Amino acid sequence: MSAELALYAQGLTKSYGRVRALRGIDLEIRRGEVLGYLGPNGAGKTTTIRCLLDLIRPDGGTLKVFGMNPQDKSVEVRARCGYLPGELQIDPNRTARGALRYFNALRGNSVDWNYVNELSERLQLDLKTTIKNMSHGNKQKIGIVQALMHKPDLLLLDEPTLGLDPLIQREVLRLILDAKAQGTSVFFSSHIMSEVEAVADRVAIIRKGVVVEEAEPSSLINRAFRRASVRFKQAVDVDLLDEVPGVTVLSRDDGTSVLLQVEGEMENLLKALAVLPVIDLETERPSLEEIFLAYYEDEEQEA
Amino acid sequence: MLTVFRYTLRRYRGQIIGWGIGLGLVGVLLVSMFDSIGTQTEALNEYLSVFPEEFIAFFGDFTDFGTPEGFLGVEFFSYMPIIIGIFAVLIGSGLLVSDEENGTLDLILAYPVSRTALFAGRVLAFIVTSVAILGLAWLGLALPMSWSSLKIDPDVLALPFVSLLAQILIFGALSLLCSMLLPSRGMASMVGGVFLVASFFITGLAKINDKLEAVAKFSPLNYYQAREAFDGLNGTWVAGLLGVTLVFIVLAWWLFRQRDIRVGGEGGWRLSLPPLHRGAKIEARA
Repeated sequence: MSAELALYAQGLTKSYGRVRALRGIDLEIRRGEVLGYLGPNGAGKTTTIRCLLDLIRPDGGTLKVFGMNPQDKSVEVRARCGYLPGELQIDPNRTARGALRYFNALRGNSVDWNYVNELSERLQLDLKTTIKNMSHGNKQKIGIVQALMHKPDLLLLDEPTLGLDPLIQREVLRLILDAKAQGTSVFFSSHIMSEVEAVADRVAIIRKGVVVEEAEPSSLINRAFRRASVRFKQAVDVDLLDEVPGVTVLSRDDGTSVLLQVEGEMENLLKALAVLPVIDLETERPSLEEIFLAYYEDEEQEA
Repeated sequence: MLTVFRYTLRRYRGQIIGWGIGLGLVGVLLVSMFDSIGTQTEALNEYLSVFPEEFIAFFGDFTDFGTPEGFLGVEFFSYMPIIIGIFAVLIGSGLLVSDEENGTLDLILAYPVSRTALFAGRVLAFIVTSVAILGLAWLGLALPMSWSSLKIDPDVLALPFVSLLAQILIFGALSLLCSMLLPSRGMASMVGGVFLVASFFITGLAKINDKLEAVAKFSPLNYYQAREAFDGLNGTWVAGLLGVTLVFIVLAWWLFRQRDIRVGGEGGWRLSLPPLHRGAKIEARA
């Protein structure tokens, strides 16, 4: 395993009784990289994160965090990680400040309190309020502050923007990018595609406990089908375009306009169009969300 | 470990104040009552002599009810294990699992705290809380003795509390072990509570029924000294109880180290019960 890897998992399996939550997860996160971990509820995202922190023990496979096995070196691994659980629960009788002081004490009082104040200000978190009087969004802010406050080497965020208003959501994404700029690796589970697209260097799509796709968001999008609409100055032989590799003609009018589906790069289509009297070309890229949904539509069809 | 201990102890301060002051006030009340009882000892002894054997088996020997030791033995220490045992069962069963069930353990164990340190910090806080509660109860008896005719040397007064502490610890440790073996805190409390009550009845009934003596040997309360502790603590019994407590704690620690931290009912038990009536089965198939 390379020293450049913050996280390495191979063939990770985990079952709860008869339910196979993870069926052989293969994953890598390089140092300073943001990995978006995508999947619907129950796909195995939280189980993967809980294995990384030794909260649960995998049944099989290899798992290394900064080259250490979380089961053998759980304290050392956790010292370098910041974790935001998907369902955050904090002692409701404390104030936000009290809770953060407790978390700081669990880290051996190593946290710079000025940084805690800075994070709280950026997230508009009132530290004096008792947690039981807080909204879900404000509790989530405490979770984000406690995950970031010790400037961890690896951030494990399970649905970090859950319950936050759009302004704070944007601030959280900025905080993730700031952490990345400081060399932090981020493992970021979500099912909100737009935010993953905004911050992730790579995405891994998990389905039924297996990573079915792992690539840069732009690469995934480029690899997917896109639609192209072309208008010509005069009628042309549209069948010529049907013969271009990766191109399918979806509809044709009287030969002056055509709707195409293009798989992969646009190069072959552009070469074919170069000899035709094109007056307009419009292409439509699918969003990451459409690509993600396509994986699950496949699953439904298989079912 | 010290951070966990400190914060857990802080969380239990309500228990210390509630149970400790409550028991302390009972002590103050009893010591104050003794002066008036002392003037009517003969009448009381006559009255108590007609009490049934079964009653005496559970609440101690009434023959020296007029003495400070006999009075406190019957009025305070005889039933104290069942009262304070409830505290032990509730705290022991929830020592780790209550945080697991409400989801806070997931976050705490994501910090650089080993499971052993967390376990040790919590167990230590439970022991200190128990000692603090009994300490306040002891004060509730010892302080008013300065203005009462009930006089017992403070060191001697501490002896039944040592026996009581051994009981708290064994029931707490048993409930903690149950919480590691059973799928929920509620079930662990129930098993611990049933064992506590069963132990109280078996120990009491064994005094009047020889056939139960063999079973009573497995009851922790068989080794509890109430009035008897004033005449000298049975060190073997206390050491034996503490030894079994240690075994329970080590087993619970081993299980806690091995197992998954549960969220959302993971690892729960489900019994496959048959449907209530045939109609339900047909409906389910449809």
